[in-house]
Amino acid sequence: MEIQKTAEVANNPETEDTIESTKQNQHEEEVEHCDEEDELRSMLLSDIRDLPLTPPSATQVNFVSYFITDFTKPGHDQYIYRHANGLCVIGLAPTHVAFKDEGGITNIDFNVGKSDRSVLKVSGKRKKNAMRSESNTALCKVSTAKDSYIVRCCVKGSLLEVNERLINQPQLLNSSADREGYIAIIMPRPADWTKNKESLITLEEYKQKKELSL
Amino acid sequence: MSDETKPSAGDSSGLSNGLVSDSDRRVYQAAQSLHSSSVKDLLSLGVCERCVFRLVSVEPFDSDLSSVSASTLRSWLEEASAAAAASSESSCSRVCIVCLGVLQFVFSDAKQTLARSECGSDYAARVTELVKREGHEFDSFGLEVSVPSTVVENERAVLLYLKGKYETEGWVQSEKISVKDALKVLVLDPLKASLGAKSDSSSFHIRLTYSMTSDEVQDASETTHERKKRKTDEENGSTSMSENSFEKVYEPCILSVNCNKMPIFFSGRYFKYSRNVSQTRWIIDDERMGEASVEELIGGNILPACLGDSYKFHAAGREDIDVRMLGSGRPFLIEVQNSRKCPSQQSLMEIEEKINNSEKKLVGVKDLKFIGSQCWAMMREGEAEKQKQYAALVWIARPLEEKDINSISSLIELKILQKTPVRVLHRRSPLERERTIHWMKVEKIKGSSHYFLLHLCTQAGTYIKEFVHGDLGRTSPSMGSILGCRAEIIQLDVTDVKMGDS
Repeated sequence: MEIQKTAEVANNPETEDTIESTKQNQHEEEVEHCDEEDELRSMLLSDIRDLPLTPPSATQVNFVSYFITDFTKPGHDQYIYRHANGLCVIGLAPTHVAFKDEGGITNIDFNVGKSDRSVLKVSGKRKKNAMRSESNTALCKVSTAKDSYIVRCCVKGSLLEVNERLINQPQLLNSSADREGYIAIIMPRPADWTKNKESLITLEEYKQKKELSL
Repeated sequence: MSDETKPSAGDSSGLSNGLVSDSDRRVYQAAQSLHSSSVKDLLSLGVCERCVFRLVSVEPFDSDLSSVSASTLRSWLEEASAAAAASSESSCSRVCIVCLGVLQFVFSDAKQTLARSECGSDYAARVTELVKREGHEFDSFGLEVSVPSTVVENERAVLLYLKGKYETEGWVQSEKISVKDALKVLVLDPLKASLGAKSDSSSFHIRLTYSMTSDEVQDASETTHERKKRKTDEENGSTSMSENSFEKVYEPCILSVNCNKMPIFFSGRYFKYSRNVSQTRWIIDDERMGEASVEELIGGNILPACLGDSYKFHAAGREDIDVRMLGSGRPFLIEVQNSRKCPSQQSLMEIEEKINNSEKKLVGVKDLKFIGSQCWAMMREGEAEKQKQYAALVWIARPLEEKDINSISSLIELKILQKTPVRVLHRRSPLERERTIHWMKVEKIKGSSHYFLLHLCTQAGTYIKEFVHGDLGRTSPSMGSILGCRAEIIQLDVTDVKMGDS
C-alpha cells in the first residue's frame, strides 16, 4: 500500500504532490511515535533478569559495615557504616546492651558533653561549624526503663548531623537501629580514618564474636 | 607647479620613469611636507622611515605607505630634508630604535631565520603562508597585533625627546598613531587580498605577536627603579632624554602568527543504554570509573571532524552511571575549541549513524546539528524548571496488593522533603529540599508479587533512589513510608526529559 503511494507521488510533480507526501509523513510520524513507545517498553522490561527473592538492601550495597564492641564499657556495641565517599553512619549494633533492657529504649538525649548535638547547624560544601569529634566524644545518651547509656562517636572526624527524628520517635532505635534509627553521620579525614580503622572489626568478625546468625 | 615629479637624487626607484601611482605620488608629496630638521634628526638617530612619517606627519598615517619600499621612502625623506644620503644598505638594514623592525616588515621566525619584506604585500604573503599552515577554513578574519612593551617605552622616550626639542612646532602636539595600529593600517588590505577574505570582528582571529629574543628582554625592559625615576622626571618637567639615550642596538623581533577560531557548538539528544557508562569522564586515583563516558563517545567523534583543539560537553541535567537514559533522550551541547573546519550536515549524520550503529551500543544520539548563539537558551530550557519522567524497578518486603496500586496512583503533586542524600553529602551542602512528585503509576511484573515497575514524573532535582529507599529516613515521605514496609530500588531508567518545545 505504502509503496504504491510513493509511486503515485513520484509521477505527479504538481502541488498535489506536496499535500500527499505531507499526509504520508504525518501518518508515518504517528506510527513512529507508537513504535518508539513500544521500543521503550521493551527496553524497560528486557533488562529485568532473574530477580532474587530478597535483594540486598541499599545499606548493604552502598556501605561497608564495621563494628566496634565493648567500646569504653562492656556491651556498648556500635556499628559504623562507611560509604564509598568516606562518610560514616554511626548507630547501635543489635547486640548493644540497651536492647536487653525490658521495653527497649524509651528516650534519647543529645545534650551531652559541652553542647546539645541536635542544635548544631552545619552549612555549605565545606561543612562550616561542624563539631570536631574524637572517637570517644559523646554523641548522646539513650535511656531505658532501667538505665541510661552513653553513645560515642567511635570515629574521629567532623560531626555532620545527628538524627533528630529520634527525639520524638525513640522507638525507631528498637525497630530499625540499622536504618531509620541511625544516630549520627560523621566525616573523617582520610588519614584519621586509616588509623581509626584498625580498632574496628568487620561484619564477619562481629558475627563470629557474638555468635549470631544474622 | 606641474604634476610631474622631479627625479630623486641618485635613486630612480619608481619616480623618474613616470609610472607613478597616485598613492606613491601622495606619499612623495607628504614626504616633502615634513619638518625637515626633525626628519634629519630622527633618521640619524636610527628611527625607521615609516616611524618618521608616523611621528612627524600631521596627516593621518595611511595605507599608501604600505606599497612604497623602505629604501624608496628613505631616499624621498633624505631628499626632502637634505639629510646626508647614507648608504641605503646599512641604514635600511639597521633595526628601528622605536618599532624594533615591526614597521620595517623585518622579523625572525621561530627557527631564527630573518625575513625582510620591502612592501606590505610581500609581508602579507609571508604571513598568509604561516596562516595557511594552521589549516583553518574561513572567509573573514579579525586582525590582532601584539608588540613588546619595549616598543611602547621607546615610543615614549622618542616622543619626550621630540616634545623637548621641537616644542614650538605644531606637528609635535598632534596625536600619534601607535606602532600596533600603524602595522594594522599598513597590512590589513594586502592581507585581505592575499588571504581572499574580508575583515571584520569575526569569530576567527589572526594574531601577530612580536616578541623580543630572550637575552634582549633582560636589558631592554625598564627596572622599577628606572620607571620611578622617569615618572618623577616627567612630573618635574625635566627630561634626561638626550641623543645619547638612543644608543642601544636592537635585534629584530620574533614574529609568531597564531590563529584562533571562537568555539562552535553542536546540539542533539543522547541516549545511554548501558548501566556502566558515566556521563562525563570519571577518573579516581588514575582509574576510570565505568567502561566509557557519554562525553567521550560523542565528543571524541565530533572533534576529529572539526579538526579542533579540544571539546567541552554540556548536558541539560545528568544521571548516575548505573541509570539508563531512554525515551526522548537528554539534550546536550558539544563545544569545540579552535575548530579548523565546520562539518557539513551530511558529515554530522554520518557521525550520528556511526555512534548509533557501533558494536557495543552503549550510547545513542539523535538530532545532531550545528547550532548558533541560541544554544544556551536551549540548554536552560532543560534544566531547573522542567519535569523528568522515570521508571524504577522497586522491591518491597511484603507482597503488593491492589490497594497499594490505587493508593500510589492517587497521589498527585505529592510534596516530599529530601535531606541531602548521604551519597552526595560529602560534596554538597546539607540542606533540606522540598520537591514534588507529580504523578506515579504502578506496573505489575508477571510472576512477582514483591517486585514492580514504578513509573513516576517528578520535579527536576528530585533524588529518585532516595525517594524509594528512604535514605535512612532522611527523605520523607518515601515509597517505604507510603507502603509501610521496607522498599529498595533495584534499577532506574530515565524515560523522558521534558523540554519547552518538543
